[in-house]
Amino acid sequence: MTDTTEATTALRLPVRTHTLANGMRIVCHEDRAAPIVAVHLMYRVGSRHETPGRTGLAHLLEHLMFEGSLHAPKGQFDDLLERVGGTNNGSTWLDRTNYFETVPSHAVELPLWLERDRMAFFLPVLTSEMLEVQRGVVMNERRQAYENRPYGMADERLHQMLFGDAHPYSWPTIGYMADLERITLDDARGFYSTYYTPGNAVLVFAGDISADEAAALAERYFGDLPHGPPIPPFTPPADPAPAAAVSREAMGDDVSFPRVYQAWAVPGYGTREWVALDVLAYLLADGDSSRLQRALIREGRLSQDVDTYLYPTALCGVWGIVTTARTGIAPERLEAAIRRVLDDVVANGVTDDEVLGAARRVRRDQVGDLATVEERAESLAYAATVLGEPEALERVLETYGEVTPDEVRRAAARWLDAGRGATLVVVPAEGASQDGEAGDE
Amino acid sequence: MSEIVVLPPPRLGPPPAPRVPHPARWTMANGLRIVSAPRHGVPQVVLRLVLPAGSAADPAPYAGAASLVGHLVAEGTATLAAEELHARLDLLGAAVHPHVGHDFAEIELVLLSETLREGVGLLAEMAMRPSFPEHETERIRAESLDALVARHDEPANVADDRAALEVFGPDHPYGIPSFGTEAGIREVPREALIAFHAARYRPGGSFLVAAGEFDPAELREALDAAFASWSGDAEPTAYPPAPPLGGEERMVFVPWEESAQSEIRIAGQGLARTDPDWIRAGVTNFLLGGSTITGRLGANLREDKGWTYGARSLFSAGVVPGGWVAETAVDVGVTRDAVNEMMREIRRLAEEPVDEAELRRAKDALMLSLPRMFETPAGVASRLATVEAYGLPHEWWDRFPDAVEAVTTEDVGRMARRHFDPQRLVRVVVGGWR
Repeated sequence: MTDTTEATTALRLPVRTHTLANGMRIVCHEDRAAPIVAVHLMYRVGSRHETPGRTGLAHLLEHLMFEGSLHAPKGQFDDLLERVGGTNNGSTWLDRTNYFETVPSHAVELPLWLERDRMAFFLPVLTSEMLEVQRGVVMNERRQAYENRPYGMADERLHQMLFGDAHPYSWPTIGYMADLERITLDDARGFYSTYYTPGNAVLVFAGDISADEAAALAERYFGDLPHGPPIPPFTPPADPAPAAAVSREAMGDDVSFPRVYQAWAVPGYGTREWVALDVLAYLLADGDSSRLQRALIREGRLSQDVDTYLYPTALCGVWGIVTTARTGIAPERLEAAIRRVLDDVVANGVTDDEVLGAARRVRRDQVGDLATVEERAESLAYAATVLGEPEALERVLETYGEVTPDEVRRAAARWLDAGRGATLVVVPAEGASQDGEAGDE
Repeated sequence: MSEIVVLPPPRLGPPPAPRVPHPARWTMANGLRIVSAPRHGVPQVVLRLVLPAGSAADPAPYAGAASLVGHLVAEGTATLAAEELHARLDLLGAAVHPHVGHDFAEIELVLLSETLREGVGLLAEMAMRPSFPEHETERIRAESLDALVARHDEPANVADDRAALEVFGPDHPYGIPSFGTEAGIREVPREALIAFHAARYRPGGSFLVAAGEFDPAELREALDAAFASWSGDAEPTAYPPAPPLGGEERMVFVPWEESAQSEIRIAGQGLARTDPDWIRAGVTNFLLGGSTITGRLGANLREDKGWTYGARSLFSAGVVPGGWVAETAVDVGVTRDAVNEMMREIRRLAEEPVDEAELRRAKDALMLSLPRMFETPAGVASRLATVEAYGLPHEWWDRFPDAVEAVTTEDVGRMARRHFDPQRLVRVVVGGWR
């Protein structure tokens, strides 16, 4: 057996934080292991801040933000960073939009200068030509990543089923094609002016830089910018974890094997129940000895693959299972086998060793994920944005070592009830419609 | 906005000196080479055991044998039944990633630092004593066949596979996917898998890279204990010559009904990883499509035209000359135009001299990104494995900046004419042709 029996100590991510007069929050995590610095700017705005009929706006704006600003015109953003050996990107998700650069430490001021310019001088360059080109790029991104990909439309439909049309987690961050066509220059201007302000942002430095240097640079590049207008109040849906609007549906797609998607709305990121549910996700499907791997693949021989996941989202978490049938296996058999595994967890609980192994596997992935300064910066920015402060990240990581088998069982019983989840079965359909219309059940 | 001060662009100091790891290297008595690169900070160890057992060594007619063997090492050993092996690995929190490429098979084990000793033992067990249980062998075979079918649901995969086949033909290992063919996977007998393992999973010709947080003495002890009884040399792999390309400009079109996009590949032959031109060719490729946005292909097709989410090009490393491909996916309606624009950029690089400023930019981007390449244990393991696998000089990464700096505009023209000759490229389109 193993020499070690403890679910080892949590990761330490020391930070120093302060807030500029304009409300922008600054976080520095110093780590001198490599001569690079990650700069991470996260705005507290995501697709959930869009309105129905204008979905995809947050993400389209993210694309536009790379098209230049007044003093760094089109092409310069990527060009300037690449030529100093840096890398950069941005992404839009349900609760936040982020922009991040990793550069050799001599070049840390360059991303700050570029981010300042597009925080202060973006609107003067935003044109309808720019909007049209990026509208085309995003539509191609949607085609490439969703419409032209097997099973690519499943998540979109699953979330509609789980949340119903009015919930802000029901639409995809990429947006609907019809909405993308509808977005106007004024929509983009309004969204930018409302949310892209210092008071709605957190700036994280991680890597080869001291907190004092980071503070001075933050003041120099962002200290003089105005706070911006107050952020419109966001009214969260009354029930953060509603019962599924539609509980089961089948969808045809041009694929060879049925695939079963199941999802439940659960407590939001950072809560103790969220951590217990994350341990459960690892316990059930990460590792070849896990219960779903055995029931569906190794012993059951029903599936080609099985995966569980948990979204670290704010209004509620989303806990899901995805599994693909083997040749000749009907999806109903997968659904029944999954239900048996979940029912068994609820009825008979899980063991100490299962929880210990799962907590270690979580930690293995966290250690791997947090190996880069870019990931550390993002995780700290996300904790600051969703949990209120970057220090909350360490507390979440610590909680994994405290979760008990009984907590795991209770979380499963409370949240993964058959009546609360949505099940979408994607079934092979010759020449199936590519726009995600539901097939016959 | 006029009240906000316009700050001048920052003046940057000199770049930091790259910190390239200088690992300890030794060879065990049985011939297994070890590359050990400890570094504190991330409590993780990445172990990569690399064996000359890739699909290039597939025994005819069983394309897919190497891949099956590579995955079956984690499915039970002489002393641990599959369930027992999985339970041990899972309780440690370890992740096993078997990978079989064209040239090499790899078993990667990602561990928490405190589980190094047990992890090394399990890695050795998998590499040395897999038992190929009948039950698990048939399951992996069936799953592999299903995966092959599922793979062809995706036009991007169809385009990748077809481009490789057109460039290398069915008789060269790079012409077919490293996971094999339906017939090969279906028909290879279990005994052939056992024989493949016996001939190729040997310490002589193999190496292990360890990167991350560990005590080097503890690693050495653990390796000595776990691998001491392993012996023998792997059989060498013979590579047939790649078919000559040339003559008429070739185009292959695979219609894909109701496709939202066309997948485009423009493919040809590249060079071996040990070719003295590798870096010159890499810089040349970087100008064309090394970055999906700022390369000439991305700048044209994405940034200028908005036809695609990205376009890029790359050389594949190989023991013998590997492939080169330029790839993108575009709106079906502009398929023909996109192929023409890509060919125009490819020709332009061969025919018109590149200017010094553009080359300067590419060189800086490549040289200055060096610190990022060695940030994580996985990154370190990967870069050191490349050096070891292809027998590159141990100082490869130390010399990298100077080698990039030495590339001239003439080199770029020469490389482009050598590798991007339109007559020796095949265009593959999966989707619509409009």
